[in-house]
Amino acid sequence: MAHDILYALQAVATWQNLLIMAAGIWGGVIIGAIPGMTGTMAVTLALPFTFYMEPVPSILLLVALYKGSTYGGSVSAILIKTPGTASAACTALDGYPLARQGKAGKALNMALYSSVIGDFISNLSLIFLAAPLAILALRVGPPEYFMLMLFALTTVAGVSGNSLLLGLISATFGLLLATAGEDLYGSFRFAFTDDMQAGLSVAPVLIGLFALPELLKLIVFRAAHKNEAAKLGDQKVSRSEFIGSVKSILRGSVIGAVLGAIPGIGPSAAAFFSYGEAQRTSKNGDNFGKGELEGIAASESANNGACGATMIPLLALGVPGDVITGVMLGAFMIQGLTPGPLLFQTNIHEVYMLFIGMLFSSVLLFFAGKVIMRGFSHVARVPQSLLAPVVLLLCLFGIYSIASSMFDVAILLIMGVTGFIMFLLNIPAAPFLIAFIIGPMIEENLRRALAISRGDPSVLISSPITMIFAALIILVVGLTVRREFLKSRNRKA
Amino acid sequence: MHTSFLRSPWFCGLLIAAFFAFVIFALIPVYVPRPAFIPGFAPPPDMWPRTVSIIGCALGLLLFVLALLGRAVESEALETDHAPKSVLITRFIGAMVVFIAYVLLLPYVGFLIASMALTGAMILLTGEKNYRYWAIGLTLLGPIVLQLVFHSALGTQFPVGILTKQFGF
Repeated sequence: MAHDILYALQAVATWQNLLIMAAGIWGGVIIGAIPGMTGTMAVTLALPFTFYMEPVPSILLLVALYKGSTYGGSVSAILIKTPGTASAACTALDGYPLARQGKAGKALNMALYSSVIGDFISNLSLIFLAAPLAILALRVGPPEYFMLMLFALTTVAGVSGNSLLLGLISATFGLLLATAGEDLYGSFRFAFTDDMQAGLSVAPVLIGLFALPELLKLIVFRAAHKNEAAKLGDQKVSRSEFIGSVKSILRGSVIGAVLGAIPGIGPSAAAFFSYGEAQRTSKNGDNFGKGELEGIAASESANNGACGATMIPLLALGVPGDVITGVMLGAFMIQGLTPGPLLFQTNIHEVYMLFIGMLFSSVLLFFAGKVIMRGFSHVARVPQSLLAPVVLLLCLFGIYSIASSMFDVAILLIMGVTGFIMFLLNIPAAPFLIAFIIGPMIEENLRRALAISRGDPSVLISSPITMIFAALIILVVGLTVRREFLKSRNRKA
Repeated sequence: MHTSFLRSPWFCGLLIAAFFAFVIFALIPVYVPRPAFIPGFAPPPDMWPRTVSIIGCALGLLLFVLALLGRAVESEALETDHAPKSVLITRFIGAMVVFIAYVLLLPYVGFLIASMALTGAMILLTGEKNYRYWAIGLTLLGPIVLQLVFHSALGTQFPVGILTKQFGF
């Protein structure tokens, strides 16, 4: 085995391969930072170029693009409250307030450190735990998915702001909106127009809800300090700040690695899950959503932690966990490699080369992030009255380019107005978004579980995994209700 | 807009309950069709939206009741430039008019021109007066640069206008 690893190390550590990975990481970070442009887009666009490359460099290029774009999503989330990817939504909750306080560099640095650590741990889990995690993934059926997603939904409590009730109402709106479009059995729900038969895409809803209300607030209220350019201020993450976030980074990385290994879950749910856990357990829990570095650490370590792990079901079982790994499966096939258990017997050299290349890409992500951050952090110095309309412009072009759809552009504007009205009514936007993203997974798996059990709801607590999650849900709900009760009593006092 | 009536928890609760009741009794029966055949014991398509809406309606009513009992969290005060309420409403209506005009004008003048107009209008609506040259530059060049970037990188074909297609945009 040592011989195989040394051979792989020698084969990967060439300047050509490092250049390809660096290009992938840089390209991914830039694409991820542009609202509306996603990692899926980056990987799909790069696919034709891989036809002319060797198998391992071609896969490494795609993996580098995926990792870079996942980190890149945090850049726009922090600087302009516009998550470049859905998995960076929680990053915006704390990153943007920090940027407005003149700590954009600090927030970007924390996002980078936690992304790199999450990514590295995820790669290690891919190398050493691929087999057990793949077996765990195989044990996860619709009831387990449902309970897992329901538990992820408890994150809502952590992002509800001052009122849990308003947070729950917001989540209910998100769950309802997510039902629009074609369902599991081909019924078109709430299809008021032909465009709505396909449902609402995540990108226009996400960006509309987060980015546009800032512009409308600026236009309507014109609060004097809102228009000031934020000072760059303190850029470095201090040793104590980093140590204070280590627990959340490590927990987020593990959450990302485990959830990433389960097909269909992906980085967004992992980020929500990790953010919720960090908020629940941190001594600074009350600061989450107001500019807490630990919140960024939890979210970013989990979403990048899921990246490497999504390769586990692909490599070990031949099952793509999401759209991006689906595209990568195509790239493997084009290169004459068939992912699955046999790959470890027939192409072990390529597998080791891939593992080592992925470890290299974590290091490259750190350097690419450091360089890009310097340029991007100056965005925080642009006055809001110029920045906000430019963000709108960027959103319009980005959203239109995803599906060449004016319907998506209209949804973007409508969601912007909805987000503003929610702000006026004191309804937090984050629970809406979490529910909108997780909602379809909850419904689909609930209906599948009930169909399998012939309508018997006891299937939802029939296995050890579902029982554990049911117990965790009860525990979290109980603790949340207790906390709300105490908060309400303190308010009265 | 920042009066206690529209932003009061009891009104908000009532509005939310009414919305979800409307979904349950008016929208779901019409816009969530049940297929003639549902395989096995699979729950019908309206099961989940109905469940969610019932929960939403109940939460709205709970907010209403808590507000009446004085136990709901009051809305936070809005930070404004101390303009009168009528001015705030006018600004909001102005932004809505610009959004609607953008969607309506786009088929006639194309994506590029409509986006330029939207950017310019938005900068004007923010009340920006100090950075005139930057504002003009961003309004005119911003959409052109973005169109070039997206067209060359992704091959996106942005809609051309009925009135402007002879000029190629």
